[in-house]
Amino acid sequence: MASTVIGAGITVEGEITTDEDVVVAGTVRGKLTAKESVTIEHGATVEADIAGASLIVAGSLTGNVTASERVDLQSGARVIGNVKAARVTIADGAQFKGNVDMDI
Amino acid sequence: MAQPRTSSHSGDAGTARIGSGARVRGRIHGEGDLVVEGQVEGDLAIRGELTVAQGASVTSEAIEARSVVIAGALEGDVAATGTVRLVAGSRVRGNLRGSSVAIDDGARFSGRLDCEFDLPPELGGASSRGEVRGRTAARR
Amino acid sequence: MAANVSIIGRTTRIRGRVTGDVDLEVQGFVDGEIAVGGDVTIDAQGMVGASVRGRRVVVHGAVKGDLLGEEAVVLEDGARVVGDVRAPRVAIAPGALVRGFVETGEGAGAPAKTARALQPAARPIAAPVRVAPPAAQAHAAPPAPPAKPAERVAQAAPAHATGGNNVPAAPGPRRPPPPVIPALKKAKGQIAKKKER
Repeated sequence: MASTVIGAGITVEGEITTDEDVVVAGTVRGKLTAKESVTIEHGATVEADIAGASLIVAGSLTGNVTASERVDLQSGARVIGNVKAARVTIADGAQFKGNVDMDI
Repeated sequence: MAQPRTSSHSGDAGTARIGSGARVRGRIHGEGDLVVEGQVEGDLAIRGELTVAQGASVTSEAIEARSVVIAGALEGDVAATGTVRLVAGSRVRGNLRGSSVAIDDGARFSGRLDCEFDLPPELGGASSRGEVRGRTAARR
Repeated sequence: MAANVSIIGRTTRIRGRVTGDVDLEVQGFVDGEIAVGGDVTIDAQGMVGASVRGRRVVVHGAVKGDLLGEEAVVLEDGARVVGDVRAPRVAIAPGALVRGFVETGEGAGAPAKTARALQPAARPIAAPVRVAPPAAQAHAAPPAPPAKPAERVAQAAPAHATGGNNVPAAPGPRRPPPPVIPALKKAKGQIAKKKER
């Protein structure tokens, strides 16, 4: 499936909106709004509010997250921000600071 | 490079040629095609195709033709109703206008290109005519 | 190597800047400046609303902004560009439509360092500064030979001979600072000392 890849080494400062999956391995500062899944890879740095269907975080995220389906924080993730999703999993080794709201 | 013979679309007019040893100073106008292999200083108004051959040089204020192919050196503004083409090795300075302007890799050029077209609406469409510098579109 | 291409997908829209030392392919819409150290490809449906800088910039889509290639800018059939185009090598295919200033050759094109891209974009194309670094002139004899900038420039662009009708890309060589005359310098020092008393 077509997807947008913000590769390692790329920095986007601003707003991203998309209907596709997004994989972030680089740096995003601003806002990210996706219709499908968002993956923040290990090594990525995201300082943005994120909205999407689902979110997988293995890198660094500072911002609020709203996902219609689920949010998965993997081992190695460092997240500061509020998470609002129907389902949330936080793996062993993930660091998280913020509120979790599963009341969608 | 192009060595046009008698051009059928310009009627009975044939091909005029300014040979490599010739130097012309003054205005040239004609019905058919023109191939310049020598040196020309002056305005050109050609109904057919203008070819500036490799090694040739044209210096002008105003050049008009149906189509233009440049393999040599040209300095001046070019207005073609059809296509303008700069081939590798050409050296051109001036403003070019035509239905399409092609510049081959290896051509050297400095000047404006002015083709008539519209950008897609997301980039401003027809309102984008005129001078635009590299600014973020003001759509906040 | 192939993994290092970033892709802005067809339905993706970015309102902001994109920078980085990588290759980039734009299938969607970037409403902001692109300044990367690698190659930039704007696909046929891709659109960019501001300037694009890269090593090699290849455009199949639409750009409203300047195109600056450190090596080359290539506009393919179907490209629509309103803005200036500058690179050592520029190729515009039949069917590509351009409205703006176009310049090829040594001196044209974008500076290499993407770190600078994070600074405000409103700086002129610093072509003259790039061509003749003063350090290179230090070795030259006082009548600075034209060979110096040409030598530096020849590394940056394919070997075009500088001709009479050439674009005014490479400026005249910078003169080295006038030689310091030790006698005068000593005298100045003495004068300064006198003033101090």
